[in-house]
Amino acid sequence: MWSYHPELLAKPVPRYTSYPTAVEFHDGCGADEYIQALSDMPSGTPLSLYVHIPYCHSICWYCGCNTGAAGKAQRLTAYLDALESEFALIGRLLGGRGKVRRIAFGGGSPNAITTIEFVRLLDRITTIFDAGTPEISVELDPRGFTSEWALALAASNVGRVSLGVQTFAPHVQEAIGRIQPLADIEKSVSALRLRGIDSINFDLMYGLPKQSLQDLNETLTQAIELQPSRVSLFGYAHMPEMIPRQRRIDGDSLPDAELRFEQSELGYQRLTEAGYVAIGFDHFALPTDSLAIAATEGRVHRNFQGFTDDPNEVLLGFGASAISSLPGLLVQNEKNVGRYRSLVSSDTVAAVRGVTRDEETRKRGATISSLLCQGHVDAGASNMLPDAHMLDIFKEKGLIRQRDGQLVITDAGRPYARHIACLFDQFRTRQETVAA
Amino acid sequence: MSDCSTCVVRNRAICASLETDELQLLGHLGRKRMIKRGETLLWEGDPAPVVANIIDGVLKLSVNLQDGREQIVSVMYASDFIGRPFGKESPYRVTAMTDAEICVFSRSSFDSFAKEHPDLQNKLLQRTLDELDRAREWMTMLGKKSATERIATLLVELSDRLTVDGCSPTTLYLDRFELPMDRQQISDILGLTIETVSRQFTRIRKEGIIELPDRRTVIIKDRSRLKALAEIA
Repeated sequence: MWSYHPELLAKPVPRYTSYPTAVEFHDGCGADEYIQALSDMPSGTPLSLYVHIPYCHSICWYCGCNTGAAGKAQRLTAYLDALESEFALIGRLLGGRGKVRRIAFGGGSPNAITTIEFVRLLDRITTIFDAGTPEISVELDPRGFTSEWALALAASNVGRVSLGVQTFAPHVQEAIGRIQPLADIEKSVSALRLRGIDSINFDLMYGLPKQSLQDLNETLTQAIELQPSRVSLFGYAHMPEMIPRQRRIDGDSLPDAELRFEQSELGYQRLTEAGYVAIGFDHFALPTDSLAIAATEGRVHRNFQGFTDDPNEVLLGFGASAISSLPGLLVQNEKNVGRYRSLVSSDTVAAVRGVTRDEETRKRGATISSLLCQGHVDAGASNMLPDAHMLDIFKEKGLIRQRDGQLVITDAGRPYARHIACLFDQFRTRQETVAA
Repeated sequence: MSDCSTCVVRNRAICASLETDELQLLGHLGRKRMIKRGETLLWEGDPAPVVANIIDGVLKLSVNLQDGREQIVSVMYASDFIGRPFGKESPYRVTAMTDAEICVFSRSSFDSFAKEHPDLQNKLLQRTLDELDRAREWMTMLGKKSATERIATLLVELSDRLTVDGCSPTTLYLDRFELPMDRQQISDILGLTIETVSRQFTRIRKEGIIELPDRRTVIIKDRSRLKALAEIA
């Protein structure tokens, strides 16, 4: 049983898909720093690439991603042209120094483009970045997913896919503007498996409008029956002031904080009982899955897509709003698709904001990542430990344990992992100390 | 316009899936063009790309590396479709390694034709997947293979791709063929020095795997050993 401490959960904390988080990015850091970092990169550096396709066949109301409707084919083609220009541009700056090991396509929905466009993108990456045998993963929208897509993915050696499932409850689907019958998911899964793509992730959500505990329970039952190798269970974040499309969602129909907590707990219980290994605070993987194996070996990392077994320290992002992560630097591309296109088409690096990471920031980032990914950190040697009274708040409630310099998040502390990690965040604890 | 009915690659090229009347329509959009050895069909960054079927000859796709060297990313043969230069500018330079004959389409007219012909679309997807495969093999070859493996790989590829019977829908391999490129070009393709290329030819010949009766002719005496050298299962 998890215990509910609303006063702890009331404090908004980042998801820490990066550290510093995107909130700390500023426009005094961008293309120049990125170009320098690329040219300083040692030869043979293993690279991960992320390619952002910010389009979907239709826009769901809950989505906070940088997306637009794929309505006009011309717009999409122009975007793909821009991506190709960016590949060429970054490829020239890299001058063959990196070695591409992983490629992830995300969005939006990468399957909003045509299969041939997708294969051509891969072909371009292969030749420009000298990527002979990378591991490739793709996010997919089950609506509009066809057997032709499954065939193209398999033939392109895509080994891992993630399906946006969210919920199976029809009335919740209606409330978020994403109608997708169970049969569509079943069809997508069997089409993928028929082509030998067995590493399938389901994105599920709790905290959705009109979603009861029972609704989530049924969705979990149906998901478990389909045996995806991974499940990510995210809480819906309602921010209608920042994300206009969410204004179509009635704020009064949302589960309250306590129900959200129960939903998250239910997800944890159901999935772990079904044999899934809990990874971090919102991922679950079957014991045979590479992420679960990485977890037993302490090799889980955090990146923009969540918890991952990707060990590469350098991630290069392509496309509007994509973030690149290098040891000493985080930079984000221009978010606006039109401005992104005009930047790269005039041969300009599209990174427009970011933040450098000095040694202390990197240490703190490693601490936060270790707490979230491994559930513990060796904090004894560092001078980063927060004030004792801050730790005591969590210790008294049995959420953390300290032993031999190790700070360990207990099982009961799992739902508070981000809040505990936040104690090491130099950009947030300080603010709070000042306020206190 | 091209007369497709007499085209020697009509059974193997991307247009092979089309019905006679469709082929006639497409034929109106294309035009045949001869290119001389060494001539460049498209430059990197060329703003008006075309797509083309290769009717005869061998072409290379290459990029310029930052240090000024040229890296060849692909070699293309008769019946191949030069479809890579998509998008608004060509990412590669496309140059004829031999005298060649191609059937050229403007990209926009070819694309709009393809949109209305699902069979051609499917074929195009299949070709693109094949190209991806070849690009990967190419990168793996340049990344890993020893000089011997590289030469053997190229010889196997040439014997597979340089068929005499252009009309045959299935590609048969040749045990005797003329090299379409000289030693210098081979060394460029494989990223080796010209001396290494010559030494490796001699070595493979001395092992009795190939015969080299003159500078251009290659006779494959022991295909399975050549394939083993190229590490092709």
